[in-house]
Amino acid sequence: MMAETTNTIDVTINKDVLVIGCGTQGLEAAEAVAAKGYKVVLVDDADLPAPAANAIEVMANTKVESLAGLAGDFRTCLANGSGRSERTFGAVVVAPRYGLAPLNEAYGLALNDKVVTMTQMEALLDDGAFKETLVQGEGKSIAFLSGFGQEGDPAATSRVLEAALTVQQAGNSRAYVYANNVKVGARGLERLFTQGRNEGVVCFKPLEKPAIEQGDTLKIVINDPVVREDVELEPDYIVVEEAVVAGPENLAFAEILRIDTDLDGFIPSNNVHRFPANSNREGIFVASQPADAANVALRVAELLDNGVRTVAKNAAVVDENKCTICLTCYRCCPHGAIFWENGIAAISPVACQGCGICASECPMDAIQIGDFTDEALTADIQEAVASVSGTPSIVAFCCQNSALEAGEAAKAFDAELPQGFRMVQVPCAGKVDVEFIMKAFVEGADGVMVAACHEGNCKAERGNTFAKWRVEEIQKRLETIGLSKDRLIFTTIASNMAEEFSMKVRMFAEQL
Amino acid sequence: MNSQSGKVMVVGGGIAGLTAAWELARQNVSVELVEKSCFLGGHSIGYTCKATDTCQQCGACNVEKMLKNVVGEPLINVRLRTEVSSLDRSKGFKVSLKKSSDDMAEGLILKGFSRHNSPLHVKGKGVTDEAPEGALGIEEMGSEGEIDVDAVILATGFTPFDAELKGTYGYGKWENVITGLEFENIVRENAGIVRPSDGKRPEKVAFIQCVGSRDERLGNLWCSEVCCPYAMRMAGTIKHDNPDAEVSIFYIDVQNTGKEFPVYYEKIRENVRFVRTIPVDIYPIENDSLKLRHMAEDEGSPSFEEFDMVVLSVGIMPGADSKTVSETFDTPLTVDGFLDDSVDSGVFVAGTAAGPGTIAGSMAGAGKIAFDAVKYLGGAK
Repeated sequence: MMAETTNTIDVTINKDVLVIGCGTQGLEAAEAVAAKGYKVVLVDDADLPAPAANAIEVMANTKVESLAGLAGDFRTCLANGSGRSERTFGAVVVAPRYGLAPLNEAYGLALNDKVVTMTQMEALLDDGAFKETLVQGEGKSIAFLSGFGQEGDPAATSRVLEAALTVQQAGNSRAYVYANNVKVGARGLERLFTQGRNEGVVCFKPLEKPAIEQGDTLKIVINDPVVREDVELEPDYIVVEEAVVAGPENLAFAEILRIDTDLDGFIPSNNVHRFPANSNREGIFVASQPADAANVALRVAELLDNGVRTVAKNAAVVDENKCTICLTCYRCCPHGAIFWENGIAAISPVACQGCGICASECPMDAIQIGDFTDEALTADIQEAVASVSGTPSIVAFCCQNSALEAGEAAKAFDAELPQGFRMVQVPCAGKVDVEFIMKAFVEGADGVMVAACHEGNCKAERGNTFAKWRVEEIQKRLETIGLSKDRLIFTTIASNMAEEFSMKVRMFAEQL
Repeated sequence: MNSQSGKVMVVGGGIAGLTAAWELARQNVSVELVEKSCFLGGHSIGYTCKATDTCQQCGACNVEKMLKNVVGEPLINVRLRTEVSSLDRSKGFKVSLKKSSDDMAEGLILKGFSRHNSPLHVKGKGVTDEAPEGALGIEEMGSEGEIDVDAVILATGFTPFDAELKGTYGYGKWENVITGLEFENIVRENAGIVRPSDGKRPEKVAFIQCVGSRDERLGNLWCSEVCCPYAMRMAGTIKHDNPDAEVSIFYIDVQNTGKEFPVYYEKIRENVRFVRTIPVDIYPIENDSLKLRHMAEDEGSPSFEEFDMVVLSVGIMPGADSKTVSETFDTPLTVDGFLDDSVDSGVFVAGTAAGPGTIAGSMAGAGKIAFDAVKYLGGAK
């Protein structure tokens, strides 16, 4: 496997950190990173409160216009009223601020002084004059709507429960909660929910969205599933829930920073390997949850350390005689680790994660990956097939993040594996070239298996997808040359699933 | 930035303890990791991958990865089958260690869930059968003596709810009534779901949520946060492996799985039936199958339904030894009986020892605790 002696080089990297977005998480992340000894520049396109730590330089009303470069050397253009400035940073932290959108339309309601948003009600409950009206005379009846305009989450539920309890405790007023799924899945919420009910908050859980009339008075009608009849209420106020939305700047950050979002448009993408603070690009971190700030600081410190990073010289090497700067590698690199200089593609050894997708996709075969050069892998394939006597011989290209672990565990725990089964370690299924698969058949393998991470679990985001495409392509070729396409399969497996791996291999062997 | 010194003891080798230890080591702090059982990984190392063809973000594979990290890290010294017997805080933290009881393995050959466990097998007291190669005898394991450290992180974990306390469900009496935790282990070890009674694939499966959680009568006023996610993911796995299977989830309120939940929930509802009620009781019928009685919201009268297998989504309870841990380390308990993680005195609490949490949440929390602990050591500058 070790084709060449690994040579390392020391790369000097910039130690300053840019934090974009100054909500609670942004501020906390800036302070945590500063506490680790790094200089922080905190920018936001709005006004900013002054942070406590003096290692933080604050730039209010400032936009990040562009970001180029890579981990250890991000070059940004920051723009504000006094002009533009070019600044270089070793790492970037993005802490997007989210907006709240009232969901009154989902209930067919128009906002007015009686139909208010959750934010407005929270403000009213902080207002002495309003609170007085809750105490006087018969007080007020206030209905909260939760979970019919959106699925909701514990944060939203927490706001409803807190406000309802405040209303109920005010004196003569009554709080009603119309809830779908009560999201109590966070610390203390079940207790808060119970306390509210014990103090008189009425919670209805109708099966359908409540029907609401909005005229001179307000009227809510539901069919109560417990008493099994219609229940009407004419509340003084209706409080509508709010959705957390990714603001347009969230997507703008993603685009400028070249990082992936999840299905809802929130960064980072939904991948367990990124959790909690990493994005798909080395050196760009995301703080969005309360524990993220500390984790961001840990990852920043790990990357920047004392400003010198020792990296493998041969992590990914571009052959200048072969590269035609077609930019295939630039486009397919999931880590944004490739740029071009001096007429050829260049791969940052700091940002490169060694997945090898670029090397497999390069139409000129101009890229070689560290310990997984074409020469080394070809030798591994030859050895794998040659070491088998008897049939069927199976060569399995195993991603070292998942299938290889599962396969090694299967061996360690004596799970049943066919005699002729051999694993070839690859850094990511995305490094399994068409040539390697064909080579295995040429060497005499009866079957070839490409074993990758499950979709959405690939450390290189799309390495498994590339591998799957290539397998499908070769299956077609096998058929055209008169071989059964069933001699080649693509499968996905997790690192902890030894028995499942063993079962999959045995089924393949039987099929052969 | 790179000159940290000091030593931290991490108590508990589950996902929170492993992550805390690893994150301390990344900051150049040496770690004494003490685990009372014979293996690292805690509950979560036994969890199964719940991917269909697509990753469902359960985080079980992260535990495997973290265990691998920890055993390969020279700054972390792992002490298995070891407990803390006392703590002397008169000068720093002087921790006395003792071997934990060897009763846990009496007559058994224990097996680790991960190939990164060392040893993979442990031979318990009184075992005469030949153990697999490399197995250690339990009597060879465990540490004693005193160690001086500069801070302590308690990651002593949770105890799953004892489903036998819900007598009407017949757990422990009817073989095919199992807990969610057992479901995890069965799938992991059999590469698919099978019934304990006959090893056959069940065609009709019920999940009952909130077994032990959100239960005022038991005084358990918390949501365990993980059970809706695991039940939904496992239901999805069953349907993926066997599209003809019928899966029902009986629930009070559906809790979220994390990112992208609305999309996920909408999709799973196409394949899995959700019934908003908590069943009353379960009776055995022929073929080791089960009859479940419930009061469905939209029906208004009791109805009976038959299942091949019933999974009880048992919740996260305070660790069985949380009281002892609280006394030993002079760390208060919360009103719910978990360790109080809000006290900042050099003894930190990470993971489910402090309350319910997912793998992802425990890992993020442990990272934060490792950060806070280093700050406490005075080295975070």
